[in-house]
Amino acid sequence: MIGIAGKILVNAAFFCSILALVGYYIFSQKDEDRYFRWSNWLFGLQGLFLLAASALLLKLILDHEFGYYYVFNYTSADLQLKYLISAFWGGQEGSFMLWILFSIFFGFGLMKWTRKPYRGPVLFFLTMTQVFLLSMISGISFGDFTLGASPFRTIAEAMPNAPFLQANPDFVPADGKGLNDLLKSPWMMIHPPILFLGFAMMTIPYCFAMAALWKKKYNNWIHPALPWTLGANVALLTAIFLGGYWAYVTLSFGGYWAWDPVENASLVPWLLGTAGIHTMIIQKKSSTSQKASIVFAILAYVAIVYETFLTRSGILADASVHSFVDLGLYAQLVVFMIVVTGVGLGMLAYRYNDLPKQKNESKLLSREFMTFAGAMVLFLFGLVITLGTSSPIIGKLFTASPTPPEISFYNDWTMPLAIIAGILTVLGQYLFWKKQDSETLARDLTLPVAITCVVTLATIMIADIRNLYYMVYLLSGWFALIGNGFVMVYLIRKNPMLIGGSLSHVGFGMLMIGILASSVYNENLLDQSTQNYNASVERGEAVDEQGFPVRQKVDFLELKLNKSKVIGGKYLVTYEGYTLENQERPGQQQYKIKFQSLEGGEELFNLYPEVYPMNSGGGGAIEWSVDPDVRTGLFSDIYLYVAGSSFVEQRNNQNKKLTQPASDSETPDSSTTQKLTIGRGESISLGGYDIQFEDYIQAKPQEIEALPDSTMIAIRASLNITHKATGNSTSLNPLFAIYNEEGKSWAYSPPEPLNREISIQFSQVKPESGEIELTVSGIDEDYKEDWVLLVAEEKPFISVVWLGTFVLMIGFSIAIFRHWEKERKKSN
Amino acid sequence: MKPKLIIGIIAIVGFTSLLMYNFGNSISTYVNFEQAEGMNGAHVVGTWDDSQDYGFSMEAKKFSFYMKDQSGNTRRVIYPKPKPNNFEQADQLVVIGEMQNGVFYANDMLMKCPSKYNDGDPSEFTKANSEES
Repeated sequence: MIGIAGKILVNAAFFCSILALVGYYIFSQKDEDRYFRWSNWLFGLQGLFLLAASALLLKLILDHEFGYYYVFNYTSADLQLKYLISAFWGGQEGSFMLWILFSIFFGFGLMKWTRKPYRGPVLFFLTMTQVFLLSMISGISFGDFTLGASPFRTIAEAMPNAPFLQANPDFVPADGKGLNDLLKSPWMMIHPPILFLGFAMMTIPYCFAMAALWKKKYNNWIHPALPWTLGANVALLTAIFLGGYWAYVTLSFGGYWAWDPVENASLVPWLLGTAGIHTMIIQKKSSTSQKASIVFAILAYVAIVYETFLTRSGILADASVHSFVDLGLYAQLVVFMIVVTGVGLGMLAYRYNDLPKQKNESKLLSREFMTFAGAMVLFLFGLVITLGTSSPIIGKLFTASPTPPEISFYNDWTMPLAIIAGILTVLGQYLFWKKQDSETLARDLTLPVAITCVVTLATIMIADIRNLYYMVYLLSGWFALIGNGFVMVYLIRKNPMLIGGSLSHVGFGMLMIGILASSVYNENLLDQSTQNYNASVERGEAVDEQGFPVRQKVDFLELKLNKSKVIGGKYLVTYEGYTLENQERPGQQQYKIKFQSLEGGEELFNLYPEVYPMNSGGGGAIEWSVDPDVRTGLFSDIYLYVAGSSFVEQRNNQNKKLTQPASDSETPDSSTTQKLTIGRGESISLGGYDIQFEDYIQAKPQEIEALPDSTMIAIRASLNITHKATGNSTSLNPLFAIYNEEGKSWAYSPPEPLNREISIQFSQVKPESGEIELTVSGIDEDYKEDWVLLVAEEKPFISVVWLGTFVLMIGFSIAIFRHWEKERKKSN
Repeated sequence: MKPKLIIGIIAIVGFTSLLMYNFGNSISTYVNFEQAEGMNGAHVVGTWDDSQDYGFSMEAKKFSFYMKDQSGNTRRVIYPKPKPNNFEQADQLVVIGEMQNGVFYANDMLMKCPSKYNDGDPSEFTKANSEES
């Protein structure tokens, strides 16, 4: 029932959006206010229907209605409430819904604040994008063609060929597949909403640019559009930061950025939007760059739609670790993209000759030229990244089945662009606030340049940088930071609200420096013998068992339980065992790695990386996943994860035996028994256990009564058995009794089980020495010591990357307030 | 034509061609083991041959296994890292590296795991329950 209601509501919203689209069109043409009112009502109704549909979807998720595909696919009965709520936007269909909801929400703002003549066309184009987005979740069928994929599909509709559904069409699974463990992170709960907030806001400059072209009013649209663009930028930047931080602390990529298509998908619109902000600001100041502002406003949204297409059409399934799988939306996404691009660029071409032309060329040393050059650099950034991300499509020009480009492609092209950008930011800011010629500019820049040179030289010497290219890059980064810092100080004295731009550029400089430090000077922490091995690989001396030269270095280290190693020449690390407690995820092991300083062995900190099975419920081999641990520091982070451990290997072997019962050839030799002689208070190590004989205990009277009357001795040994790796200890009190029967004395020593495999018997007392004999069965004699394989990295100044990002966000936010205030004052 | 315009056009054409040239070089194509001979950074797609020995050697600090490429060639692959966690689940592997003396040295390995969307594995469903919602 709820499913049908949900489908009706989604399609009612879809229908309303089409009607509103028509209404806004008529209003834009005829300019009669009643059409605007009607359309607004339809628009609002659309929002209401979609809100109700969202509430129903949320209810289905919270009620664990696993008969619905969306609920079945993304949630499970044991999921915590917060992840149930975030499952709403965890899948493709729900994330489309969230995107539309935000878009509708901003639509109300546009209705209220947008003035004529832009009002009608802006809402027309906004509604147009909503029609497309709603069509993605409509789920109406026309014969064989289904429009979109409804979030309210039942599993029978979604998987018509599954055999268990053909046998019983009404089948409802008892539990869902659950949310991917990697996404069970607070960062991942807030990342998607903020990203879609940014996507929805970035639609608005597109709408304004199109309205400007429609109404031939090319100048004033930027005033209302600028704060929205800035807002979209802050939202996208926040989302990029959250995604990067999540990747850093939960994935074993070893970093915050991997040039993955999904990451690029949020970066390109940000770059183009930022380019648009630059040209809009020049347009505001000096009424030039009208064309460029319109082009960037269009391209920023086109980039969003294009990247949505790339990540959701399944085209990148081979190239990206985490892109969506095709839901059959390929054709629809292509149409969406073509319409948005075609309408945008088509209108631009149509009006091109009508657009204001620049009367006189701007000089090289002018704020117009510098800011425009900055926008162009940002555009080229976006172009390079788009090209790389599009390799599955554009690569077909070169080869039949293209692979993604090497990471070096991105780095080689973005680094020189960043160097240029760093220098431009300072020149642009100096020229922005004061008319300058080359002489005055040179005078003003003397001090910042001098300080930059000193600081760069100091950095080069302290960090021992040998690469000339990095030196130039660093110089540019410091110049951006220091030069813009000067401008900022000057502006704070004038009016603190003006510092948005210079502060953002300071943040950019910080980012440049932080990215270089954390990625190029990322150090793999290895022990001496591994370092020697890698050095011999480098010299070409290492050979493998067949005598062939080895060319691959080793970038992980092995630690045995409680045996310390020196890594990276500065830390003494010890693997102190694992615990199976703190089971946030069933089957999870938490390892304890102690870091000590080399001098004095002072304990610095402990890291607790985790390993957990992903497919907690299913059969088959266990799919392990790792959760790194990061020690965050002001100057450097220590990042570490467990790449393998003896526990995981044992579990895999046990699992193999369980799943392959046929291979009886190698029976587990659980029959191994050992006899130990141990004195009171002594401790003996056997296999992975420490066995301590604490004391004798007198057997209790009622126990003795249970034994034969002829019992002469009945005594227990108080044993304390500690599992070395986990540190779990268990007390066992095995019994030893002697009784007489038919003139002979008999010993009675029942085995005390420790666990399923291991049991201990108190088999003999040696009165002459006071020692006892224990018979232990089930502990493997050729036990290998517990070990872990670790990948540990030291990443210097990653904190500067985060700091730079925050400064950028603050700078943009200040700019929003400033431009919004101005705009508000005007409307009153 | 104005000289500025000409310079601009040359700059744009130059930048674009350099970019495309470099892009063309930085992508490669998926090959089989025979074609990978003599290539740097070859991408080979294939499946794990589970009939032969595989595993991580603590002494050599390497994971080795046999992979069958899409043309049916089987070669030993050496990967200088611990065994990836979901290795056994992968229904397709992409190894990136060099062929040397009939052995493929993978610097990187990607695993394509069965899609969440397409496996309607009935064994996952334990209880049947026909209540209509």
